[in-house]
Amino acid sequence: MSEASRRIAQHAEASGGIAQHPEANGVSGGMTEGAMRENAATVDLSVRVYSWLLAAYPRSFRAEYGNHMAQVFRDVCLRDFRRGGARGMASLWARTSLDLLRTTVEEHIERGIDMSREKFVRWSGWALMAGAVLFAAGLILGSFDSFDMDPIGGVDAFYEISQAVGLTLGHVLFVFGLLGLRTGYTGRSGSLGAALLLLAVIGSVVSLAGLLVMSSIEAAWQVWMGGFLAMTLTLAVFGIVAVRRRVFSRWNFAPILAGVGLPLLFGVGIAGVDSVSGQAPEWASFVAVVLTSVGLILIGYRMQADAGAGSDALA
Amino acid sequence: MAEASITPESFLPLTPAVFHILLALADAEKHGYAIMQEIEDVTDGRVQMGPGTLYGSIKRMLAAGLIEESDDRPDPTLDDERRRYYRQTGLGRRVLRQEAERMAELMALARRKHVWAVFGSRSILT
Repeated sequence: MSEASRRIAQHAEASGGIAQHPEANGVSGGMTEGAMRENAATVDLSVRVYSWLLAAYPRSFRAEYGNHMAQVFRDVCLRDFRRGGARGMASLWARTSLDLLRTTVEEHIERGIDMSREKFVRWSGWALMAGAVLFAAGLILGSFDSFDMDPIGGVDAFYEISQAVGLTLGHVLFVFGLLGLRTGYTGRSGSLGAALLLLAVIGSVVSLAGLLVMSSIEAAWQVWMGGFLAMTLTLAVFGIVAVRRRVFSRWNFAPILAGVGLPLLFGVGIAGVDSVSGQAPEWASFVAVVLTSVGLILIGYRMQADAGAGSDALA
Repeated sequence: MAEASITPESFLPLTPAVFHILLALADAEKHGYAIMQEIEDVTDGRVQMGPGTLYGSIKRMLAAGLIEESDDRPDPTLDDERRRYYRQTGLGRRVLRQEAERMAELMALARRKHVWAVFGSRSILT
């Protein structure tokens, strides 16, 4: 017998059996003491069998509600026995069996869905963190490549390969991570937040697609940048929603941090801080990469922590 | 769960079990058996809820913030203190009202279409 079933059986005993229950008064009407004892035993047996059958429910559900279900069943048993005797009991068991069958299936399915969702969000959180580290490492190592436009190989091969691997793996993990972010927090984000998260996912997919075809299509660079900019901008706006609605249990500013880096970099470049090259200076690129990565790591950490805390932290 | 961020409409239509439980808790807080008893009484025994349906619904309603557990006991001397009492939340009240309004609109539509007629205090489905 499981712990929960034993507790339920103990509870049924502690309730004092049929004779001490208020509904039991009606049972004795017109019966001999022997018949009453026999019928009381029938009710007690029913309660005991029902308590055993509760083992079919998921453990957490049983631990939370098993005792109360057994108590309610006992109350209904006493009432139906008083009203209809053995026939009343048979009718009650027919109803209860169907109820038991249907709701055990429901509870197991619901538990399975909750478990899968929590697991997916937890793994997506780890993916987002790993993706951010790879992305930052790839870009920072890639910055040591002395000539950006040459094919991979030669003296800078290590930096070039590091950049290609870091960026590609990082983007794959971003897609997975952002899908988990949307799955875990859509309910808490409202319609605007949910739409922004969807746009961030689409942005990450477009960015990944651009990155994958970059070596064969020249315009893919714009697709990659456009997708990544869309992803980060929508994350920044989602961060405002997160701060207002307290989407995460903590660190709701993290999406803003993840989202402002690249737009800031573009801003700096457009403002012409480095007027000679017409591009943003190295320090601005470094700050942008660090901001984006730290923000994504914080989001990923929050996702896996919230998922680990249980389904209440997600919605 | 953040109650302010959820609209009552997002819960509609309610399942019969959730609707009946919210209705049973509309006038007072009750424990599981009292909820079940009231539902049977007000429906003349047409709705008989098993313990699995009752507590499965209660679990989901607690998670959704429609009901909450109550520490108060109407009269501790009359009752088993192991029983859990439940009561509606503000959100639960709003959801119940919206569902009742939705049903009323449906009934009005049925009446306009002559599917349903009211004779005195009795209603007859034709």
